[in-house]
Amino acid sequence: MAEEKKYRQFQVSKDLKRLMAKHYALGRYYRYWGRPLRRKLAWITSGAPVELLRAFKIYSVYPEQYGAICSTAKATEKLCQAAEAAGYSQDLCSYARSHIGSILRPDLAPMQGLPKPDLLVACNNICGTVLKWYEALAHLLKVPLLVLDTPYLPGEQTEHAQQYVLEQLQSMVAHLEALTGRKLDRQELKRQLTRSAEMTKLWREIRELAQAHPSPLNGPDLFIQMAPIVAIRGSQEGIDYYRKLKAETEERVRRSEGSILEEKIRLVWDNIAIWPKLFSFTKMFTERGACFVTDTYSGGWTAELAPGDPMESLAATYTEIFLNRSPEFRAQQMIQLIEAYGANGFVLHSNRSCKPYSLVQEVIRRRVMKKTGVPGLMVEADMADPRAYAEESVRTRVEAFLETLQA
Amino acid sequence: MEDFFIGVDIGSLTAKVVLVDAQGKALGWAVARSGYSGRDVAQRLTREILAEKGVKEEQIKATVATGYGRVTYPAEREVSEITCQAKGSAHFFPGARTVIDIGGQDSKVIKVLPGGKVIDFAMNDKCAAGTGRFLEVMAGALEVSLEEVGALALKAEEHKSISSFCTVFAESEVISHASAGALKPDILAGVCESVAARVSALVERVGLESEVVFTGGVAKNVGVTKALSEQIGYPLLIPENPQITAALGAALLAWGMGKN
Amino acid sequence: MDITMVKAEEELTFLLEEAVLRGKNAAERYPEQRFFGYLCSYYPEELILAAGLEPLRLLPGSDPANPAELPSYCCSLARGTLAEAKKGKSGLVGVGMAHTCDTMQCLDGIWSDRFGRENVLPIVPPVLLNAPGARRYYQREIEELSAKLLRLSEIKRSFSNEEALEWAWQVCTRARQLAAELDELRPRLPSPLVSALLRAGQLLPKERFIEALLTVLPLLHIKAGEDSGRYRVLVSGAVLETDSLFQMVEDLNGRVVADDTCTGYRHYAQNIVGGANDKIRVDEAPRDSRDSQSQNSMNSRESVLTQIVQRYVTMPPCPCRSQGLEKRLDYLEALALKRGVQGAILAIRKYCEPHAWDAVPLKERLEVRGIRTLILELEASEVGGQERTRLQAFLESLSN
Repeated sequence: MAEEKKYRQFQVSKDLKRLMAKHYALGRYYRYWGRPLRRKLAWITSGAPVELLRAFKIYSVYPEQYGAICSTAKATEKLCQAAEAAGYSQDLCSYARSHIGSILRPDLAPMQGLPKPDLLVACNNICGTVLKWYEALAHLLKVPLLVLDTPYLPGEQTEHAQQYVLEQLQSMVAHLEALTGRKLDRQELKRQLTRSAEMTKLWREIRELAQAHPSPLNGPDLFIQMAPIVAIRGSQEGIDYYRKLKAETEERVRRSEGSILEEKIRLVWDNIAIWPKLFSFTKMFTERGACFVTDTYSGGWTAELAPGDPMESLAATYTEIFLNRSPEFRAQQMIQLIEAYGANGFVLHSNRSCKPYSLVQEVIRRRVMKKTGVPGLMVEADMADPRAYAEESVRTRVEAFLETLQA
Repeated sequence: MEDFFIGVDIGSLTAKVVLVDAQGKALGWAVARSGYSGRDVAQRLTREILAEKGVKEEQIKATVATGYGRVTYPAEREVSEITCQAKGSAHFFPGARTVIDIGGQDSKVIKVLPGGKVIDFAMNDKCAAGTGRFLEVMAGALEVSLEEVGALALKAEEHKSISSFCTVFAESEVISHASAGALKPDILAGVCESVAARVSALVERVGLESEVVFTGGVAKNVGVTKALSEQIGYPLLIPENPQITAALGAALLAWGMGKN
Repeated sequence: MDITMVKAEEELTFLLEEAVLRGKNAAERYPEQRFFGYLCSYYPEELILAAGLEPLRLLPGSDPANPAELPSYCCSLARGTLAEAKKGKSGLVGVGMAHTCDTMQCLDGIWSDRFGRENVLPIVPPVLLNAPGARRYYQREIEELSAKLLRLSEIKRSFSNEEALEWAWQVCTRARQLAAELDELRPRLPSPLVSALLRAGQLLPKERFIEALLTVLPLLHIKAGEDSGRYRVLVSGAVLETDSLFQMVEDLNGRVVADDTCTGYRHYAQNIVGGANDKIRVDEAPRDSRDSQSQNSMNSRESVLTQIVQRYVTMPPCPCRSQGLEKRLDYLEALALKRGVQGAILAIRKYCEPHAWDAVPLKERLEVRGIRTLILELEASEVGGQERTRLQAFLESLSN
């Protein structure tokens, strides 16, 4: 098949499958051993301070990642319909809708849904939607919800915002102590932060290897290999896996092997992947020698820990996430990526489900094009719901865009 | 001199008029495209029925209007098509507990008590998916008449699914199926299933109870009827003239007013 | 008719006209005032007033708007207000949004990209109003915004900003008291009338509004009929830039007896400082809004800023501020029961996520209490044939 010929698989990916399967399987057992061992299971948002939870021996699973799993397993449409029938508007985030659908209709859900949580932890640094989503979950499941409010930063980080987040973190500690019956072990928190930082550093380094020509990584590589940094950040297995991935990626660079066989065009991707069409969408690019050498989405997990004591560091790090910042900041980030990775163009996925990511993209696109002269393409789709994808209109745009780049 | 009552339903596509006598028995009905002025059409239909049945205008004791054009129609009362639809459906099928109505612009699912009282209802949101209009656009894209859609869909061998929920996206999906060489019946089966899927979501919202009555112009479409019945897992009771149930309901409400 | 009633009729007409104008050309109509546009009721109007500016709520225009910056799946409030601003004839000194939802967050970025950060002054209230540190944080945000507004306004005056804030607080409190009096009359007045008057108060100079409403209220007390036999409904939703929905409810023999909209009573609701739930009694309030010293009910040790923070923290819960979902449900259930509503209409602007989220548990809660609930999706604030069918069927079903 043409696709296989033009696309190079990672050897370590088989380990990744095993690693993630184990992660989800472990979560299922908390039903049995959670109570005797005083270990809780949490559902948490991708931008929540998981290191703190790990220090309390809380096991975390990510409904957002599960939303992506549902989508690649082609279950989203039915799950969304189940949520819509329960009254949730079809205009709400498709991760949230499909996840709520998986609670209402586990028979339609991959792995029969996520294991039921003891608590919910949401941080609004990535969007306001997660808060509404988690409120709905708390209402449905009758479990406690802990929220970390990280104020949007129109400009630079302010001292009072950081102080506010810090105070909430401290109060979260008290809640977690009460919920788990454990005292916070500060040494353990420090260890968790160190391991988290190590894993983040590895992920950053792996991604930076894609600055090579040809790039050892393409969009789908980034989106698939990001799973550990999201779901098992701070774990030793995650660190071990990224070491192997890094070695294999370095090997590719040494041999000048690209992720796609004939790299002619280098692109930067903005926004969450189009999960239901990940491969068929990318294929339109691969066929024409275009590679997504880096992206802002999986790059969201590369921020270095801010300095300070563990709690201060958490407060600052989680507030300064790029989605919590102005379009000006994000345009600057895109410009840096274009320069560092030698990109010829950028593609913005205007994602119906993700307003904070998407509504400012046109402003970013214009700003970046003006500053760099590099063209940007906007494609409207959805990260999980296949019903919001118009194949033909996307194809026409993509083809025209790539033709301009090749001309 | 005997009293008579009129029910008028001016929908986005057609206007319907029903005449009932003093016993609440339907004597006659008429349907025509509502065109530019549904009100004029409905008035013409009324005159025609009256002439046909030999009823004088002064014998009409009350008229109830429903449908989109109800607001401007000179009637004693205007009542929403949901209330009328429930009333009319219960007249045909006294055991009706759920009424599904798919019209040109709206689809509705109504939960009713014996006698046709509405206890709950759900309607499509702003977009046209799951309505007669959606079918019409897709039929247009495939150059078949709206009346043919159902029969053609039943001939499908391999169903082409239509996944988009937006009418504009779905139309382009239909066109790309066609340009990829798919057969019209296969695509139309997918179109009918898509309408049925939207409506079954509404059914779920109000909760299904049998017996289920299916009314509205789209109830004449055998493709949608089959898909909908399969999806909700119940047989659908369809009145002989599924378009006129709301007008009949209106006429019965007019009759009820006359009695008091 | 006696002369005061003639005057009251005139003032009523004036307020209704203002409500229809949606703030258009306010700067031209009030050349002696300088207006500052804001989005969201969590933007403290007191700060704008204290900076010598007049707060003007930004509303979308009447035409469908599709500014190039925003995609089609964005609400018409954001699209409409941005499109109005791009016309460039507003005469506003600056604009600001309170961070509420993801869309407003983005709108701040887009707005400042186009008009310059220095002219666009956001405030980011805490989402968790009761979180530890939330008040202190909010107060700092308010202090910083206040300073920025003063810089923008470049006002020179002989008294301190503290005094200006004190005066602004009194003005806003006065407007809120009068709005509360109007809200009490709601069951006995035509719904679109009340909705228009409350909206007008967000579109014209504050003191002018107070003056007009003071004149009009006695007339309204006379006009207020008996409790009608209409269907008693609650309307909950975000911004409604016209009275179309209220008018249709009225046309269909309904009456909006309880209002929970951003442009309606929720904008004005103010509990007495100190935590008690009883409203500030109108008769206890100073007659002259500038007379701040003598009849000032607040604890002298509390600064006016604390007072302002307290007011915004204790506003009736909106879906964008989390105090736990249950708190909002409790509030609306209590409101519905207090006003004896038979049905609730949840008006949701297409693509408004926070309200769409809350609609599900809210409908569930109200229906448990025997209050039928209609979720009504609207493109903007205008209602048409589709909505009429839904509303009419809904109201008809209330009589069952």
